[in-house]
Amino acid sequence: MTDRDGTFKSVDGVREGLKGVGYICNTEIATTVYLAFHLEKPVLIEGPAGVGKTELAKKAAAFMNVPLIRLQCYEGLDESKALYEWKYGKQLLYTQLLRDKLDRIVSRDSDLGESIRTLHQYEDIFYSPQFLEPRPLLRALQEEQGAVLLIDEVDKADEEFEAFLLEILSDFQVSIPEIGTVRSQTRPYVFLTSNSTRELSEALKRRCLHLFIPCPQPELERAIVRYHVPGIPDRLERQLVAFIHEIRKLELKKTPSISETIDWARALILLHAEGLDRDLTRKTLNTFLKFEEDIRQVDEKLMLLVDRTLKETA
Amino acid sequence: MDRVLNSFIVSLRGAGVPVSVSESIDAAQALALCGYGERRVVKSSLGATLAKSAAEKEIFDDCFERFFTFESLKSPMPQGRASGEDEMPSDMPPIGGMILEGDMGGVALAVRDAARASDLQSIRYFTQRGMFTARILQALELDRLDRYVADLYREGSAGAEGTARQLEQGRDALIDMVRRFVEEQYAVFARESTERIIERYLQDVRLTELEERHYERMHMLIRKLVKRMNERFSRRRRRAKRGALDFKRTLRAGMPHGGLLFETRWKKKRVNRPDVVILCDVSRSMSTVVRFCLLMLYGLNEVVARIRSFVFCSSLVEVSHVFDGTPIAEAVERLRTGEGLDIHMGRTDYGSAFWDFTHRHLEAVTGKTTVIILGDARSNYGDPAEELLQKIGERSRRLIWLNPETPPMWGTGDSEMKRYMHHCDLVMECNTLRHLERLVGVLVRIP
Repeated sequence: MTDRDGTFKSVDGVREGLKGVGYICNTEIATTVYLAFHLEKPVLIEGPAGVGKTELAKKAAAFMNVPLIRLQCYEGLDESKALYEWKYGKQLLYTQLLRDKLDRIVSRDSDLGESIRTLHQYEDIFYSPQFLEPRPLLRALQEEQGAVLLIDEVDKADEEFEAFLLEILSDFQVSIPEIGTVRSQTRPYVFLTSNSTRELSEALKRRCLHLFIPCPQPELERAIVRYHVPGIPDRLERQLVAFIHEIRKLELKKTPSISETIDWARALILLHAEGLDRDLTRKTLNTFLKFEEDIRQVDEKLMLLVDRTLKETA
Repeated sequence: MDRVLNSFIVSLRGAGVPVSVSESIDAAQALALCGYGERRVVKSSLGATLAKSAAEKEIFDDCFERFFTFESLKSPMPQGRASGEDEMPSDMPPIGGMILEGDMGGVALAVRDAARASDLQSIRYFTQRGMFTARILQALELDRLDRYVADLYREGSAGAEGTARQLEQGRDALIDMVRRFVEEQYAVFARESTERIIERYLQDVRLTELEERHYERMHMLIRKLVKRMNERFSRRRRRAKRGALDFKRTLRAGMPHGGLLFETRWKKKRVNRPDVVILCDVSRSMSTVVRFCLLMLYGLNEVVARIRSFVFCSSLVEVSHVFDGTPIAEAVERLRTGEGLDIHMGRTDYGSAFWDFTHRHLEAVTGKTTVIILGDARSNYGDPAEELLQKIGERSRRLIWLNPETPPMWGTGDSEMKRYMHHCDLVMECNTLRHLERLVGVLVRIP
């Protein structure tokens, strides 16, 4: 990783580097990524949906120029889906195809005991790496140049799986009984994301660096919008972000986050808008509000909200 | 490890962020990497290593701001004389010299040292504030200063008296300053511990004996409890029972492989979302318990349970609709007073309440329903109508009776509890928060 060390010299270096691949972030995020790299610790990212948790991992991979390996968690996820599985079908197929050969080998033996002993010599054949289907965790360990391992929405997985993760995250090795221990050549950088649908275990949190990404400050959000929607008129961009920030103060079922802001900005650009007005806003509410009740609530106060926004940014 | 970091971690722990040893090592390493150069970087690197949830981050921010600013030490001291007219007499404590010279930095430093010597970090309870103030003042040799001032007055010369007065002023300012410093450190190191003691006390206190001033806090506690319960029970309705093979489903899963049993299927234990019908006695003797019980159950309503509720006193009415569209706390208040409900708030009569229920609302109870009756079973010597309760019990999946009285009181006087309890599947004493918590556990598991 000597080639990347230069970019990781300082927190600012990390921030610039991430900016280079299209992720604009504040000191806190950059510091955490910087620490994660140097302390070799997993990062647990929490925050509301759509603030760029998953995106951070993706962009970090692009920045470090290593592959991204993603493990999406869900209820009932287990080792065979996350770590490795034997290719049962292939094993079965091969035993069928090789039946004659096996018969021939065994037929030379005089009694049952001897046949068993003969077969024992061959049993490892069907449990060798050729029959192993590596799943994301194992793939991340096998990646020689290192990788970014993204364990997405870890709070959706079961507690048992979390305990199992602990083992991998502390040693970066797994033992497969039939083959032996697989140890990582280069430690993967691990990002875990959580939407806090449940409390994660203390043990897991203790092992990770913790990063909470809130909805961004207006200046940061404006920078992000400018980056993702190039060519947006300055006035529109200012009004748009101010309006979104007004909306976040309301009590909504789902407050719009950055991804919604960007969607809305793109929609407005398509409509050739130069600035915000009441009518346009009303027509495009559904690009950043995802619940009927939310739309209704905002619609009722729309006049007030738009006026306030326009006054603020005037 | 760095003393500043160490002391900051102590303050975080005091505020309720559980920082483990490995985390403090991480923090030290992080600081060594990033350096103390930029405040924001220091803050985020400590935040990333020490505070591990959104709630903890909030506490952390608060602590960080308080810990790394020291307002109180800039307190005004009487201005010292510009020129040193007298020589410093030899038996004056060093603090006196600093006061006379107006050396505020020195005084602040002395206070800080004295605080460290008297182990101010270990302050936990507000009752300790006086003690620590006294200890620090003693370490500053205030008594010696006092004696010295007295000597000066005795001397009687104009110059000596002036010095004495100045020292006295400085002494008062010093005491004030130490007191404020202790106050502030108490806020940094101990505020949460005191809160926790009150919370722990509230969990075990009888709801009936709760003081009015604790209600607000109790609401908060229940909200926390409900949140925890919802988290625990909502997500996983099926929990794999490891080790018990579901043979039928394993066979079926093996079919594509030509009957070979490659994939195993395991038996699952279901965590269910119960239908709950709750009958609440809202007579005066019950009011506090009812208030908190309803608060709790309705908190669970969304995720864990489906609830229909009825209240009764002399007669019984359904009140489920009251909760729709009204904030919980307000709704509970309305139920307690019976305001706007078609209910007769006379003498409590369990017999007639059961009669009302079985004749009007029995369809609410099915084989899947858990019926909870919340009441003290004090029926004013009326007809207990046991057979009606039996009927409800038979029709439901489970009948749970929660009684706020302690078991020895059951069956005394006009209490019909001894008779009723035979028809219930479960009878529980219910008058603390802990009892309520246990109830939820009972509700969502199939016995």
